[in-house]
Amino acid sequence: MKSHDTNSEQCFHCGLPLPTGAYYPVSINDMRHETCCHGCQAVAQMIVDSGNEGYYHHRTEFPATATVQDPEQILRQLQLFDLPEIQRSFVKTGAGDVREAALILEGIVCAACIWLNERHVMQLPGVLAIEINYSTRRARVQWDNSQTQLSEILQAIRDMGYSAHPFDPFQQEQIFMRERALSQRRLAIAGLGMMQVMMYAIPVYVADPGSMTWDIEALMRWASLMLTLPVVFYSAWPFFRGAWRDLLRRHLGMDVPVALGIGASFIASLWATFTHAGEVYFDSVTMFVFFLLAGRYLEMSVRRKSAAAVEAMVKLIPAVATRFCDYPAQHTTEVVPVSQLAVGDVLLIKPGEVIPADGLVLTGSSEADESLLTGESIALAKVAGDHLVGGAINVSSPLQMRVEKVGADTLHAGIVRLLDRAQAEKPKIALLADRVASWFVLALLVIAAAVALTWITVDATRAFWITVSVLVVTCPCALGLATPAALTAATGRLTRLGLLITRGHALETLAKVTHVIFDKTGTLTHGRPELLETIVLGSCSMDRCRAMASALEAMSEHPIACALHDVEAPMLQVQNIIHQTGAGLEGAIEGQRLRLGSPEFVAELHGQSLPSQFALRDGQSMVALGDEQGWLCIFILGDQLRADAHQAIERLKLLGIEVSLLSGDGAPIVRHVAERLGITCFTAQLLPQGKLDRLRQLQQQGEIVAMVGDGVNDAPVLAAAQVSIAMGQGAEVAQASADMVMMTGQLVRLADAISVARQTARIIRQNLLWAVIYNLVAIPAAAFGLVTPWMAGLGMSFSSLLVVLNALRLRQVKYERVNMLSPRPLAPATLVTEGH
Amino acid sequence: MEILFVLIPVSVVIVLIIGGLFLWAVKSGQFEDMEGPAHRILMDDDTPTQPKRVQ
Amino acid sequence: MEASTYNYKVVRQFAIMTVVWGIVGMLVGVIIASQLIWPELNFGIPWLTYGRLRPLHTNAVIFAFGGSGLFAASYYIAQRTCQVRLYAEKLASFTFWGWQAVIVSAAITLPMGLTSSKEYAELEWPIDILITLVWVAYAIVFFGTLVKRKTKYIYVSNWFFGAYIITIAMLHIVNNLEIPVTLFKSYSIYAGVQDAMVQWWYGHNAVGFFLTTAFLGMMYYFIPKQAARPIFSYRLSIVHFWSLNFIYMWAGPHHLQYTVLPDWVQSLGMVFSLMLLAPSWGGMMNGVMTLSGAWDKLRTDPILKFLVTSLAFYGMSTFEGPMMAIKTVNALSHYTEWTIGHVHSGALGWVAMITIGSMYYLIPRLFGREEMYSVKLITTHFWVATLGVVLYIAAMWIAGVSQGLDWRASNPDGTLTYTFAQVVKNMYPFYFVRLMGGLMFFSGMLIMAYNVWKTVSIGKVEEAQIPQAVHA
Repeated sequence: MKSHDTNSEQCFHCGLPLPTGAYYPVSINDMRHETCCHGCQAVAQMIVDSGNEGYYHHRTEFPATATVQDPEQILRQLQLFDLPEIQRSFVKTGAGDVREAALILEGIVCAACIWLNERHVMQLPGVLAIEINYSTRRARVQWDNSQTQLSEILQAIRDMGYSAHPFDPFQQEQIFMRERALSQRRLAIAGLGMMQVMMYAIPVYVADPGSMTWDIEALMRWASLMLTLPVVFYSAWPFFRGAWRDLLRRHLGMDVPVALGIGASFIASLWATFTHAGEVYFDSVTMFVFFLLAGRYLEMSVRRKSAAAVEAMVKLIPAVATRFCDYPAQHTTEVVPVSQLAVGDVLLIKPGEVIPADGLVLTGSSEADESLLTGESIALAKVAGDHLVGGAINVSSPLQMRVEKVGADTLHAGIVRLLDRAQAEKPKIALLADRVASWFVLALLVIAAAVALTWITVDATRAFWITVSVLVVTCPCALGLATPAALTAATGRLTRLGLLITRGHALETLAKVTHVIFDKTGTLTHGRPELLETIVLGSCSMDRCRAMASALEAMSEHPIACALHDVEAPMLQVQNIIHQTGAGLEGAIEGQRLRLGSPEFVAELHGQSLPSQFALRDGQSMVALGDEQGWLCIFILGDQLRADAHQAIERLKLLGIEVSLLSGDGAPIVRHVAERLGITCFTAQLLPQGKLDRLRQLQQQGEIVAMVGDGVNDAPVLAAAQVSIAMGQGAEVAQASADMVMMTGQLVRLADAISVARQTARIIRQNLLWAVIYNLVAIPAAAFGLVTPWMAGLGMSFSSLLVVLNALRLRQVKYERVNMLSPRPLAPATLVTEGH
Repeated sequence: MEILFVLIPVSVVIVLIIGGLFLWAVKSGQFEDMEGPAHRILMDDDTPTQPKRVQ
Repeated sequence: MEASTYNYKVVRQFAIMTVVWGIVGMLVGVIIASQLIWPELNFGIPWLTYGRLRPLHTNAVIFAFGGSGLFAASYYIAQRTCQVRLYAEKLASFTFWGWQAVIVSAAITLPMGLTSSKEYAELEWPIDILITLVWVAYAIVFFGTLVKRKTKYIYVSNWFFGAYIITIAMLHIVNNLEIPVTLFKSYSIYAGVQDAMVQWWYGHNAVGFFLTTAFLGMMYYFIPKQAARPIFSYRLSIVHFWSLNFIYMWAGPHHLQYTVLPDWVQSLGMVFSLMLLAPSWGGMMNGVMTLSGAWDKLRTDPILKFLVTSLAFYGMSTFEGPMMAIKTVNALSHYTEWTIGHVHSGALGWVAMITIGSMYYLIPRLFGREEMYSVKLITTHFWVATLGVVLYIAAMWIAGVSQGLDWRASNPDGTLTYTFAQVVKNMYPFYFVRLMGGLMFFSGMLIMAYNVWKTVSIGKVEEAQIPQAVHA
């Protein structure tokens, strides 16, 4: 039996246990099945009514529980996709009213889902074709616009419990797909030619001398020639084109010797075939082309995979958003295209939706999944006053947000710009490799010419193939190919760790770093108020106080509110809430009149003075809670160390890196932080100029310095360091001048990044070393006539393959997993206070 | 081995045909989805007693 | 108006004839196996002599039994995976009657001693022409169905069937180019060693594309369907297809090791035979791994037992084959019973088992029934057949090796230790065990025939609906 055995306690549709008392039956062939909710019942009924109950027979996984939907409202929303200006970006117009769009399907859990979607959509009148790719979960749908609309197709998919979004197959992706299909074809032709030519070549090799008559050999040559033609003129074409382009630019790239080798051996073989004299090298030519193309194809897929992490980010912004028409007076909403959003608009973000722009949470509390933007795998709690980042996904419950930034001003757009910049800049080491390769090629051509001349005087019959061997056997690929391959693999790796490289040189410099300078505020600490301590003054327990404060602040947009927000506290009902600007809040919980805010504001309620004075240090503030009888408690808020700061410093020290702390803050607190983290070298009360001097001093001592700062305040210091890393948890990322941006708040990633960078440097060194050794051995061997062209081709191909595979190892560098349950820990154990 | 004058040209022609077929297959997207076709044949319910009862 | 049902009629016809011809072909096999033990069993009638019945046996099992099975499977699979009715149904019907006519004429002419004396291509020129016509019709029907398919992807089985249809057409035509002298006699246009080369280029590729590629097409459909699991790796199956096709073409000369064929041609045959191992085993693993995670199904499902056991034999014989193509091994094995054992581990173990399993899957579906009349009888058939194959190949393997060793054994003075007749005499016990194995396999077919008869007689012929996108 293929389907899950659904028993009577399980929902027939989604497989969850049935809630007690639920009665949502569906009948199939006169058999009654129980479902768990209205949503599942509706979907199951729809599947059965459309004659697709076979789905339940074939499926191997349960789908997610269906949610109840308001069809009218959804249709209204989906109808936006029918607007021509929206369709322009993703719909292809065919003959007449034929339209075609690409969709991303969500909710697909097994092959039966695809079957169901294809069948159901095809049942709609006006749908001409639908095809879903199982691997990518993307669909291509074709319909007749005079008979149906895209919104109806999307609605039909919704009815089945799935969702579909049109997507714009990005220009870049299309280019890539075309490129890949082309190289696949080139590679296939070369492979085919190689195998068959080998079949004509092997007999010549295995035949005892004299046992094969010349006419058979000529036949073999002609057959080989026929099959080599497409390999040389189709598969190897990029090499010739590349070489020609290089020559036009008076630059010797690695395509030049490759093209020379291929061209020369082919022409010589052609000559030999026509004149029945000399040797043919068709097998060497085809094999050479095949292995070279295979190496490039491999490198292309690596590059593609690294780029995929970046592109996932680019595709995040949804096409439409739900906007309140007249907030807060009315609660009616309209669905508008994202391009029409303006700063100040208030939006409704439903669970599961992508946040369309940067903004602030007005009401509601939920979690946002920013993993695609920052690499942070844990969804972050979002409550009133929190920043929302466009491109993140709202996870659990509805949020109302106010748009702060749109379009090019958003964090998302900034990141995309940074990535573009990094890609446009060629790393220094790659530039160097290019230059070296160019000299290498020149030297090679000179050697080849010398070898040719020498052999003509020694033994003219062997001169030609020995020269070809010399040309073919050398491998400039290790220089020209493997360095970028290693860099791309490493960049992709770091992006997944949440570290964006925005400057080409960052990776190679990072590998050499000997000293890391940290800023304090916003770098080692979070840089925003956090609840540090709760001092209970009244009869209420600490938990009760926290719950009441949390409930009161739930209605507020103030930044302090998020510090007091307590996810674990029971939700309390607050009545008669009054907002006193600049002072605090007043409200009633279970009949108890409460005030939360400055001590003066709270004191007005009960007329008592504070029982004792609380010493507050720099950057700390105090919030009081009280009722009509007196003080309940005092909350001390302040900046807090990042949870993994200590671990990060330890890891850096393990890597043999010196760490120092430079801060503009007062000496006591800086000393305190430094001692807690085990940093021996620290300086307090520094102005930016002071930081800069200190940095220069270190550099004069020969240290390679990495500076970690919050990106804005430390800008001049960041710019002076050899490599700079900005903590990028905010909109300021977009303007960051740093070489790298750390998208997660996880400092330990810095040590990981250095490990990856060092590994990259190591691998590049290995590759270069290999290239040197290989060429030192291979060129003389070939020059002395010990290597036949086919051996040369094989040796060269394996050499470059080895180098690319070596670079691929970077994708598996081990790093420690960090478990940070919450980026904003409330436990008072990590206080940066010195007692009161 | 004069027969090779027949067999080898024949094999060259075959290789060209196979190569052409392969190019067609790549071009028409036969290799775009490398999982779907395996699942699709299983979705095709060929048991004779229809409609199939669902348990 | 588009057809709403599949054409099961021609599939049904071929499926039934598969069983019928299986029984006939194997019966002839049993008879000639007996004749090797008791030569007088030809009763002095020329029609029943070993030399005339042996080609009848090979033709009947390969082309009548295997061929009908392939027609049935390819027509069924092409229709179901393309979700269209067969193209050119009259031609499809012609392929059935034409193919039966070919078989019947073979069954008449071969005992009459009319043969072109090429192994696996014994039939005389008028029948060759009929075969060509049927095959062209087959190609039109099959590829026409693929062209009008409703699905985007051409399932991998169809790729295998397509390669088989094209290659067999070419092989058949090139090998059977002949000059007729009378209605029943012709001469090959090739002479001497050239003829041998073409013959074994044909002979080996017939094995390659008829008995391997085509049945792999069956395997790639029926194993996933019966196991209700997708093929382990679709990607691997595609790679399997292309690599197998490229290498097969050149392995033929290994049939002519140590003959007048030039030495380098023989070496070539050896090299490519060895290269064949990789794709063959890749395909086998792909089939077997399909069951990973569902091995328990193998315990209860005899059809799956047939299908998976056939793969095991496929793996075994594709390992054995390249080994036997190595010149030193070939020096021992060539012309001995080992070759017969190798062929039968492929023919009975792989070809017959996968065909039988596929027919057990197909026949109930073609005759409107949920399953075969008796599943228990399928299990019985499975065990009888498996034991039969094992007995057969074990006997032939021991016989072949001892035969080869005996033939080359020589005395210190250089004379042969054993006369030819002595070695023949040593074969008797093995011939007897082989006959037992063959009889068991044959009786398995009789069990199948009974089961099929019962299934068909209580079943009802019902045309299957093509899943339609019913526009609501």
